[in-house]
Amino acid sequence: MTNTALLQLRDLSLGYDGRVVLESVSLSIERGEFLALLGPNGAGKTTLLRGMLGLIPVLAGQIEYGFDRLAHPPGYVPQRETLDPIFPLTVFEVVLMGTYARLAPLQKVRQRNRQLAALCLEQVGLAHLANRPFWALSGGQKQRVLIARALAVEPEILLLDEPTSGVDPGATSAIMDLIARLNHERGLTVVLVSHHLRLVRSLVRSVIWVEEGRATKGSTDRILAPERVADIFGTLTGTV
Amino acid sequence: MNTLVEILSPNFLLRQALIGSVLVGLVCPLVGVYFVLRRMIFLGVALPQLSAAGIACSFFIYRVLVGPHQHFELTERGLAMIGSFSFTLAGLLILAAFERHRETVEARIGITYAIAAAATILFVAADPGADAHMVSLLKGDILATTSTSLGVLAGVFSTIVLMMFAFRKEFLLVSFDRDLAIVFRKRVGFWDSLLYLLIGTTISLGVMTAGPLVTFGFLVVPPLTARLVTQRMLTFSLVAAGLGAVTAFVGFYCAYRFDMPLGPAEVAVASLVLVAVAAAGAVRHAADRWRTP
Repeated sequence: MTNTALLQLRDLSLGYDGRVVLESVSLSIERGEFLALLGPNGAGKTTLLRGMLGLIPVLAGQIEYGFDRLAHPPGYVPQRETLDPIFPLTVFEVVLMGTYARLAPLQKVRQRNRQLAALCLEQVGLAHLANRPFWALSGGQKQRVLIARALAVEPEILLLDEPTSGVDPGATSAIMDLIARLNHERGLTVVLVSHHLRLVRSLVRSVIWVEEGRATKGSTDRILAPERVADIFGTLTGTV
Repeated sequence: MNTLVEILSPNFLLRQALIGSVLVGLVCPLVGVYFVLRRMIFLGVALPQLSAAGIACSFFIYRVLVGPHQHFELTERGLAMIGSFSFTLAGLLILAAFERHRETVEARIGITYAIAAAATILFVAADPGADAHMVSLLKGDILATTSTSLGVLAGVFSTIVLMMFAFRKEFLLVSFDRDLAIVFRKRVGFWDSLLYLLIGTTISLGVMTAGPLVTFGFLVVPPLTARLVTQRMLTFSLVAAGLGAVTAFVGFYCAYRFDMPLGPAEVAVASLVLVAVAAAGAVRHAADRWRTP
């Protein structure tokens, strides 16, 4: 594992119920990188992301983490549809949940946890909505709240699962700008699953291409070269 | 007014039953909020019935292996507790293990209810010592609450309330975003099991004290009402518990004042509050839409 690698995947196989979805994946993610997980629908992008998060068991190979997962767990932004709107939670309560990572059972939420949550909410530009019900927000606002929750973990790496899925174009730009700013200004390592090839191409420096059970990492220019994209998708070059 | 004064008097004959009713009304909704939030409401129908089957089963086994038990003795309560608790917890753990497989959830819960209801009747029918008293124990006989059983109820329920509040951030995290809890390396299985243990204990004691109908009613109705008027987790839990306690008291008052059966009166009052709150919400929503061009 290199000194700057935050995540090192070695000959990794991932899947569900013993069924292999991705096989022999070997790549490393360096500190400060901003990369996208791209590929056709059902190729295994989310599977790879969930594997990196430790949400699904490793079938073969190993993942080495270049950070303390207990002290600084990864900042995880799930697809917002996975969260049930029946829970009565305010925006602030959702963000505060990010601070639970380092709170032991019986340890009370303290003032500094609240201040951190408020700060994270401010960073995503939604401090004024702190007391609003989470479910009353628009799709783009909810996504930014979930990014604030991930920041409240004080992570070294941010992993986002389709953060702009189902969001209007204006909100999509705002979310991607926010993520890019977190990478540039704070040096936060970012890995995101996306379907927006064109949008991602202008922002990320590296891409992990997932297809047919394999994952390949390379520079954006190489992986998303126009002739290669045209080769893979025919005339479809806007979105995957 | 005189009835209210009589009920609140320290010398009120059914004082223990009143306190037991209010305790069940207070604590069942507190754990019931997780039934509603985790979308396990139908479990609330099956589990109290399973608890009743456990009580009948334990009496039947005791009868076969040892002999007839004595009514109103401690062994009778102990037997009921063991049967109720073991059946409830086993059922809860088995059904909860399949919680994430949503496709067949109604079928599983429906089958559990049908089997539990049939087993209860069969166990009672097979026990030659079963009589009206035992049937009333299965249905829950809150009017027969003794000072000992009330003490046990208060002690256990106090512990449950303390634990629900002490571990509320863990219960919320594993219920709201299980994946995030795993990423945080929390012991998800342990917290789920502890929550189920608290739910199972509440249901067991609730069924023994007030019966399956009242237990199910208070597990579900006050939380559903509270969900309509609250937007924060803590207020949701507190309002649900408060509504449960108040409606249990009002239900007790109505039953005593108008000579009605206690359990159904309590559930009817809780349901009337739910209907009133839902109707008020619908009227307000319609008014808002009408005002908005």
